Amino acid sequence: MSARTPRLDDPVIAAGISMASMTDRICAITLRERPFVWWWIAFAPCLALTALLAVAIAYLFCRGIGIWGVNWPVMWGFAILSYVWWIAIASGGTIISALFFLTRSEWRDSINRIAESMMLFGALAAGIYPILHLGRPWLFYWLFFYPNSMTLWAQFRSPLLWDFWALLTYVLASVLFWYFGLLPDLASVRDRAVSRGKRRFYGVLACGFRGSRLQWTHMRAAYAVMAAIMAPVVVSIHSIVGLDFAGAATPGWHSTEFPPFFVCGALLSGFAITLLLVIPLRRMLHLQDMMTGRHLDVLCKLLLTSSLCIAYAYLMDAFTTFYGADPAEHELFRMRAFGEYMPVYWGALVFNCLLPQLFWIKRVRVHTPGIVAICLGVVIGMWLERYEIVVTSLARPHLSSAWGAFHGTFWDWATLFGTIGMFLGGILLAVRFVPVVSMHEMRELIASRTAAESGA
Amino acid sequence: MAAIFGPAANLASKVVLLAVAGAVCVGFLFWWFWPTSDYARHVGAMVVQPVPFSHRHHVAGLGIDCRFCHSSVEVSANAGMPPTFTCMTCHSQIWTNASLLAPVRHSLSANTPIAWRRVTDLPDYVYFNHSIHIAKGVGCQSCHGPVEAMPLTYKAKALSMEFCLDCHRNPGPKLRPRSALYDTEWRSTPATPGAAALLAAYHVPDRNLTDCSLCHR
Amino acid sequence: MNHASDRLWRSLEEAGGNADFIARVSQEFPNLAASLAAPIDRRRALKLMAASLLMNGLPGCDSKLSENLIPAVRVPSNIVPALQNSYATAHVLGGYATGIVVSHYMGRPVKVAGNPHHPASLGAIDAFAQASLLNFYDPDRAAEIAHRGIPAARADFETALAAQRLSLGADRGAGLRILTGTVTSPTLIAQIRALLEQYPRAQWTQWEPISRDAVMQGAQLAYGRPLELIPRLEQADILVAIDSDLLCSAPGRLRYAREFAQRRNPNRTHAMSRIYAIEPTPTLLGSVADHRFIAGPAQLAHILVALAAGIVDGASAPDPARSLPDWIVPLLEDMKGARGRILVHVGASQPAELHALAHAINDALGGRGVSFDLIEPVSNAGSAGQPLRSLIAEMQSGRVQNLLIIDSNPLYSAPAAWNFEEALRQVSFSVALAQHPDETAQAAAWFVPQTHDWETWSDARAFDGTASILQPQALPLYDGLGAVEMLELYRAPAARSAEQVVRGTWKRQFGDGFDAAWHESLATGVVPDTACAKSGARLRALPAQLNSSAPINDDAALTVLLRPDPSLWDGRFANNPWLQELPRPLTKLVWDNPLLIAPALAARLHLENGDLARVTVARSSVTAPVWIMPGQAPECITAWLGSGRRAAGSIGDGQGIDYYPLTQLPGAATLQKQPGHVRLASTVHHNLLLAASQEVLRHGTLSDYLAHPGVASTAQPEPHIYRTAPPGAAAWAMSIDLNACIGCNACIVACQAENNISVVGKDQVLAEREMHWLRIDRYFAGDPDAPESFFQPVLCMHCEQAPCENVCPVGATVHDSEGLNVMVYNRCVGTRFCSNNCPYKVRRFNFLPYAREQHRPPQSWNPDVTVRVRGVMEKCSYCVQRIAEARIAADRESRPIGAVRTACQSACPTRAFTFGNSADPDSEVARRKSSPLNFSMLERQGTAPRTTYEALIRNPNPAIGAGRKAPPS
Repeated sequence: MSARTPRLDDPVIAAGISMASMTDRICAITLRERPFVWWWIAFAPCLALTALLAVAIAYLFCRGIGIWGVNWPVMWGFAILSYVWWIAIASGGTIISALFFLTRSEWRDSINRIAESMMLFGALAAGIYPILHLGRPWLFYWLFFYPNSMTLWAQFRSPLLWDFWALLTYVLASVLFWYFGLLPDLASVRDRAVSRGKRRFYGVLACGFRGSRLQWTHMRAAYAVMAAIMAPVVVSIHSIVGLDFAGAATPGWHSTEFPPFFVCGALLSGFAITLLLVIPLRRMLHLQDMMTGRHLDVLCKLLLTSSLCIAYAYLMDAFTTFYGADPAEHELFRMRAFGEYMPVYWGALVFNCLLPQLFWIKRVRVHTPGIVAICLGVVIGMWLERYEIVVTSLARPHLSSAWGAFHGTFWDWATLFGTIGMFLGGILLAVRFVPVVSMHEMRELIASRTAAESGA
Repeated sequence: MAAIFGPAANLASKVVLLAVAGAVCVGFLFWWFWPTSDYARHVGAMVVQPVPFSHRHHVAGLGIDCRFCHSSVEVSANAGMPPTFTCMTCHSQIWTNASLLAPVRHSLSANTPIAWRRVTDLPDYVYFNHSIHIAKGVGCQSCHGPVEAMPLTYKAKALSMEFCLDCHRNPGPKLRPRSALYDTEWRSTPATPGAAALLAAYHVPDRNLTDCSLCHR
Repeated sequence: MNHASDRLWRSLEEAGGNADFIARVSQEFPNLAASLAAPIDRRRALKLMAASLLMNGLPGCDSKLSENLIPAVRVPSNIVPALQNSYATAHVLGGYATGIVVSHYMGRPVKVAGNPHHPASLGAIDAFAQASLLNFYDPDRAAEIAHRGIPAARADFETALAAQRLSLGADRGAGLRILTGTVTSPTLIAQIRALLEQYPRAQWTQWEPISRDAVMQGAQLAYGRPLELIPRLEQADILVAIDSDLLCSAPGRLRYAREFAQRRNPNRTHAMSRIYAIEPTPTLLGSVADHRFIAGPAQLAHILVALAAGIVDGASAPDPARSLPDWIVPLLEDMKGARGRILVHVGASQPAELHALAHAINDALGGRGVSFDLIEPVSNAGSAGQPLRSLIAEMQSGRVQNLLIIDSNPLYSAPAAWNFEEALRQVSFSVALAQHPDETAQAAAWFVPQTHDWETWSDARAFDGTASILQPQALPLYDGLGAVEMLELYRAPAARSAEQVVRGTWKRQFGDGFDAAWHESLATGVVPDTACAKSGARLRALPAQLNSSAPINDDAALTVLLRPDPSLWDGRFANNPWLQELPRPLTKLVWDNPLLIAPALAARLHLENGDLARVTVARSSVTAPVWIMPGQAPECITAWLGSGRRAAGSIGDGQGIDYYPLTQLPGAATLQKQPGHVRLASTVHHNLLLAASQEVLRHGTLSDYLAHPGVASTAQPEPHIYRTAPPGAAAWAMSIDLNACIGCNACIVACQAENNISVVGKDQVLAEREMHWLRIDRYFAGDPDAPESFFQPVLCMHCEQAPCENVCPVGATVHDSEGLNVMVYNRCVGTRFCSNNCPYKVRRFNFLPYAREQHRPPQSWNPDVTVRVRGVMEKCSYCVQRIAEARIAADRESRPIGAVRTACQSACPTRAFTFGNSADPDSEVARRKSSPLNFSMLERQGTAPRTTYEALIRNPNPAIGAGRKAPPS
């Protein structure tokens, strides 16, 4: 069938999909008695990895962060760079969901639920790192402002403090944002559910959303407000993450370009992961007629755009280094580009800047295997970029007597892959238990189109 | 379509919501106020000692000066606990057979120290120095409370960092005339010199007394 | 130590009689006595350490009421809780004494400092003496007397000895032999002499693995009798150092270092000295010399002969067949120019003939009495007694029935070829008196645990003969015997106590007025007027065969230079964690002693750092990793003795390589590459050959400096937008004189001891997690084969604009009002951002619970400093505990705060460190900071460091042009 192979001129939604049929299909997925076999096959490894994460964390708390590869002078390692990586992924989801809601982009409606789930679980994965990273994690609450018997407060000038609060805000906001958008759909699922158990389950989740006009007004208003908040919040969180580095006098970090640079990075990895989720899901759940070639095309174009921004940032990075006169910066750049960490630098460059250029070619933008390959490349590239920023910079301080090297240990990798398992597991659970497409927004989309057709 | 929930659900949902909110509030309040509570800090908790030594009897009753037993309080960080010999200076003469004092006599004969239980304890990363506080006019009672009234010694003040800072930020009002440092009867009277006068008398430097390095090393 | 100065120099008697005092001590740490009474296995040690955290670890939770207060039953005078007492004694190494002062808290020794009254110390102290604290507390020290490995009671030993005395009396001691290290102790010498009179046919052998015999024999050749040469470096305008050990291992090195430094800072000395070093392997003196010329043994002898020919009339000319380096001529000019103010010094490892030549040159240049003195020998080692070789021969032939080994470990350190082990089996009654059940002790019939020097009475002489009395600092932690007591036991059953014996020795000396003199000597740690007399000996005509006496090595062949390990000496410190993890001055290696080879040799054999190679000398060979040492002579391989112990204890066993099998072997060496590679732990993680940039370390030549004195100094600091200088009354600051630093590491150990810094072990160092607050950065510049080298101590700079402070989210590192950059451990949550933001990388992090796993009992920590738990950042605090103590003492008396000395400062032999209140214009630190040489590190970072440096100025001979180059060879 032609609808199954995505084409550039696909409509946002295939003709002949009525509100009812769409709602029925989506609810059917959620209300299936038993999950698909592929779901189990995918979920099992995620569960295993999550268990590994639990072990890694337990051992970490018992023994101390010495189980990681961090050392003197490379005091930050996987914890921070993975944190930045996850936050970027989450932010990408937010931008698709919130920013393009505000711009009323209709292509967003069918994929924003996926994007939001991505935001949610990305934020959670990121959220655990700052605490694991601490030498004495049980004292993390000292970053709160609370009246205590020491009459001490947290220290306002530290970017880490801003980061802590930004992250807190972001995680809470994304949970709410996700949930608000979910309410009407939960209600529809509740109404279509047959078994008493499911009806009660979704009934509780739906918080008694009955679709009354008043409820709709409130819900829309709340969602719009949340979107309007999320858009700047996501920019701020990632700028502040950038400031964690820009705020330090360390060679390789001390650069004003970091905040925008990091936001672009967030977009890039966000679009990449969205594509990586959308492509298999539309296939497995037979949603090709709702997530069409049009969607892939748009996402690929956006990915290409953000990749160009990143390329610009890399260019500026090199330029400012040699425009400036700091010998430490020069040495550091030489080491990055030609030293022991050479593969990291060039890897990031190729995966983040060169590879996505393939999207200039129209055919590639709808060629799913190609897209998947490129997006995987981007995801890895973004991780390498963070590795380059965090590790290589620290390995080359001003004094050559303090130069060092960093090598991740088993527990570093265990924690990283553990969070990946947790993330994917979360997505799969969402696919299983909540509507995978935002039905109420789709209904509006369909309504507007039918109105347009009838109007024509 | 049949209702999923009965009317009771409305109430239930409200109750649950309120309960959650309440739990959160209580949790926060506990987190804020528990650590500073006297209970958590063992204020007023009497400690059972190998010998039921009564400060009330020895200080208020017999009028023995603090320094008779805590002899290094003026020269050292550590006020000093009396060696068994100090106890025996008197108790070799009086109450020589009191069963209460058996541990003391045993300590002397067996040359094994008496292990007193600590009453006022500071964390090991706090370096408190008795001598300088005495030298600058802080009386024993300011931190140890009415020891002369204690049949069994207990911790009288919270001794939290807040407690220390409270005085370090404005020491003047807490100072006593030199004559009153060990005087358990002393109470501030209109005749008592004012804060400024005392600060001057003790040459308390106008140094920042809240530097971390003052107590933490 | 400033705060101790008033209480310093009090003898134990004054402390209310030993009995009381020592009883007090044992009371003071009952659980130490208890825990250490039984031999300790690792788990037990760990339990101890856990206990230590309860005692003084961070997590001491303030609501805990479980801790006990344990007052003494009886307190002797002067023991005040939480106050420090200090007692003078001496540290003896290789027979020679260095005066030290041991500080006690509540009777527990916790810190060792130098003794300003002692000629060999002048207040300074070396790494060994400081680390002897850990030897004292070492849980591996033996607890019981053992007979053939089976624990025995002291009574058993005494009965066995009684039987021996009978048989010895019968044959007038024919079978009795005594083996000791070099002995300078008047008491011990007297005792042994007495023993030899009692048993006339007995023999005494003195033997040191790190031998100084060549020095004595050299003097013998030149002056007809053994003499000691005492350099007067502050008087020497020119020092020609031939493979000199003056700053590394010579007795009196601390004093020489002080005198050396007095002529090195052009801003303070009237005339800068000039130092030429000619050596096969880099020494400390060579690394700081103005000219360093590289020459292998053969070339070295050749050059010295040439110098002699140029200066001594009648000296034979050098072998014309051999080329001479071009710098010989200007060198000779320079030497002749400095007649009377010059010294040629030859290292102890060079053959006697070269020493004799040097004596001749020195004599001809007339420096005697000015730039050096000749004194009667301090010890009669080497000259007197039976050589070890013949002792072993006798043992093998079964003529020795009774061998007493005192504090010597020949089984490990005697040349393997002599086969001491086999010989020892032939001895029916052998007694080893040793602190550890070491290699020899385990093979001997009787092993008697020896008390630590701090647990018994003794005495010893310093490099110049000045005697010190060693007084006990505590009751023995283990049952044991001192050397004095052991010798007493050998003489008579009802032995006198060590104290009685030592008193007896000095009664004879002091005569009447004994008590006063005795107290004085104990108090000051020096027995007045006991220095050796200057010798009037005249130089003999040089024997003609001298120039042919150069070692018969041609340059092609390799030579193995066996030297004492800079941190482990001859191996006796192998079980000392501080010293094992002390970065060796030039390689920065820890826990290892690879073969040091020249870059050229490495290139020829395709060797990288850590590659295995086999070195063979005369059929005996050792396989070891190699380390490429810039500035090494290509025909020389340097091997440090003292590692590879088999029975040192849980720390030292199996660490490193044992090179003793290569000692005392004739002929050339060969080196072959072997398959395999070893990871060597160095605290410099990139073995780079870097010119120290002027940003980091400023240096220049004397001529530059004289041309424009300000050349190296810091430009006017730019005004800061933000905080200016803190308001406090005092402004603590430090100035480090790079002209004085010789990289000797005394400061590092001082810091480690004072501030409870953990040892992390080889694996953690390989993981780049060493904890030293103070590190000495070593830079090389120029040609890898003959580089210029620099030392730069780096510790927290206490920046006024500290980058670490504003990135800490919880404010755990903040500024105090007197300008200290304070690290509040108990507030630290361990984000480690401060370290990332520190341009100087002086912050260290407890990645793992290191403090729990230290090889030392909790009682040995410094009670004035918090012990850091895992997950906490730490760094140099300018010894804030000492500042606090001084401040409190001053405030108590309402007087301005006096001088404060940091641990590194008081240990430093060259006074490179100066610390104090820079707000006081009269303070030494303020004066040094006003020096034209003053500069701050990484100035452009705008951190306004409180720690600044004085630039390194060198004084090369203009006639020799390019500072240092290798001779054509």
